[in-house]
Amino acid sequence: MRIRQLLIIASSVLLLSSMIWAQAGAKPAAGQSLSVAVSSASPDSLLNGGPAAWNQIAVKRVALNRTPPLYDTDEPATLEIQSVDVRTARTGGKLLVELSWRDPTRDAIALADVPDTPPETRFRKVQTEADDRFFDAAAVMFPAKTDSGAIAPSLQMGDAEHPVEIYYWNATRGAMLMQAQGRGTTRRTGQNFPVNSTYQNGQWNVIFELPDLPAGTTVAFAVWNGSQKDRDGRKYFSVWQALE
Amino acid sequence: MSKHQYAMVMDLNKCLGCQTCTIACKKLWTDRDGTGYMYWNNVETRPGLGYPRQWDRIGGGWKDGSLQPSPLPTMDDYGHAWEYNYERRLYEGKKQPVMPSPEPKSGVNWDEDVGGMNEDENYFFYLPRICNHCTHPACLEACPRKAIYKREEDGIVVIDQDRCQGYRYCIKACPYKKIYFNEVTGKSEKCIFCYPRLEKGQVNACAAQCPGRLRFVGLLDDPESPVHKLVLVHKIALPLFPEKGTQPNVFYVPPFNPPKRGNYGSSIQDGPRVPLDYLIYLFGPDVKDVITRLEAELKKTQEGGRSEALQLLIGRDAETRFHVRPQLVQIQL
Repeated sequence: MRIRQLLIIASSVLLLSSMIWAQAGAKPAAGQSLSVAVSSASPDSLLNGGPAAWNQIAVKRVALNRTPPLYDTDEPATLEIQSVDVRTARTGGKLLVELSWRDPTRDAIALADVPDTPPETRFRKVQTEADDRFFDAAAVMFPAKTDSGAIAPSLQMGDAEHPVEIYYWNATRGAMLMQAQGRGTTRRTGQNFPVNSTYQNGQWNVIFELPDLPAGTTVAFAVWNGSQKDRDGRKYFSVWQALE
Repeated sequence: MSKHQYAMVMDLNKCLGCQTCTIACKKLWTDRDGTGYMYWNNVETRPGLGYPRQWDRIGGGWKDGSLQPSPLPTMDDYGHAWEYNYERRLYEGKKQPVMPSPEPKSGVNWDEDVGGMNEDENYFFYLPRICNHCTHPACLEACPRKAIYKREEDGIVVIDQDRCQGYRYCIKACPYKKIYFNEVTGKSEKCIFCYPRLEKGQVNACAAQCPGRLRFVGLLDDPESPVHKLVLVHKIALPLFPEKGTQPNVFYVPPFNPPKRGNYGSSIQDGPRVPLDYLIYLFGPDVKDVITRLEAELKKTQEGGRSEALQLLIGRDAETRFHVRPQLVQIQL
């Protein structure tokens, strides 16, 4: 118990220091930048063309951090996913971001289709199969106002002056575009975005199609591991990375 | 703190375990996709496993001002909703018996009427359960999305389905395990105390349908309401597991009669049919005083007197049992 408390404190300090750094508005340090390939391939071929389409694009390995337990009642979780491999490409007015990470468990299901007819008119209803499973997910976050200069928003979902956009993908529920202005304010916009995901040999590969973002924009990544009961702020996160 | 607080009192001496309340609730609120296994209202046999099974020992609630940890109950704890293969038997002409699928292995009322043993005699009673619409709800505190709120005007605790992201911290936090996850919608849901009915002046469906007339509904802060009288004036109704710290607004008149042996009118405390320790486990140590008060009221009537408390508990008509007022100001759309 004592060791766990120490761990929580240590990781909180780490997290807080990265938050303070982020809120102080400094530009990401050297080494925390992402080169962006300019591709002649179409957005669709990068999105759906398989690994060959990305062969020429350099990979950056971005370290992931684990959020400390956020609530008294949280079970502790170990750092099972150390890093995410990121590739980015600009083409056709879009920014494509590929995230790949190792995760030995594929936490995803195919939800049963819900018929369009009202449930009361149907003899059978779609049933809840399980109530205690969580799914793998990933997200790319960037400032909603890309003209905010050197100020990188708080890593905790931005703040009132620095709203963020979150392109969230869930292995079961698909793509959702979200917006936030600080921790606890994340809301779904109801919109989605093109995404392609594959899971092979213990590795997730998810390609996000984002609007083009100008050089210097900061982006951050998050990964959720369903088998570690990840959801909400219980997740892996990277610090801000500046697009070159 | 809400301005008013709706509350319910259930007289366990009158519950016959017919599950009419359960079905009234199910047909009205949980006959949708993803809700097959959910019973916002359930009636369980006590002592017994409960629904979800062993919910009273899982965890959650408050201790010294902190939320207590709890695992999520599994579908085996709730019991999977099963269907019958009517199509194969009736339409496809397969000569198979009509069988449930998946094979039932547990369920909402799995151990009905099993009860427990008091020395060499079997005993049980029924415990109907809904969300307690607590004054200090652990679920509300646990939700990082602030999707759960307590209605200012009547104290009813509801989950905003637009804000809910299905994180299930609320399910863990609730010591009564009265919140359910709908995997089809990806959101959690619970008893809403039939607020749309109350707003129209109709009492909760479970209370309206109860053949045993054991449910009393009204504002706890309304001196004219039956719940105010039973809980605060006569002091004969208690919340379930008060030590969980959430201050429930559903109260129970504990089973107090008849005694195991002896003449009618002898005290349950002399030869308890239901072991007093078990009632203390459920309702806290105050249950002894409540039973003493109830027995005194009973004695009063047996000696030809009149007991306001017992007259109220008889609950002859809906006007006596329910004090529901439609919203004074209706929103004009």
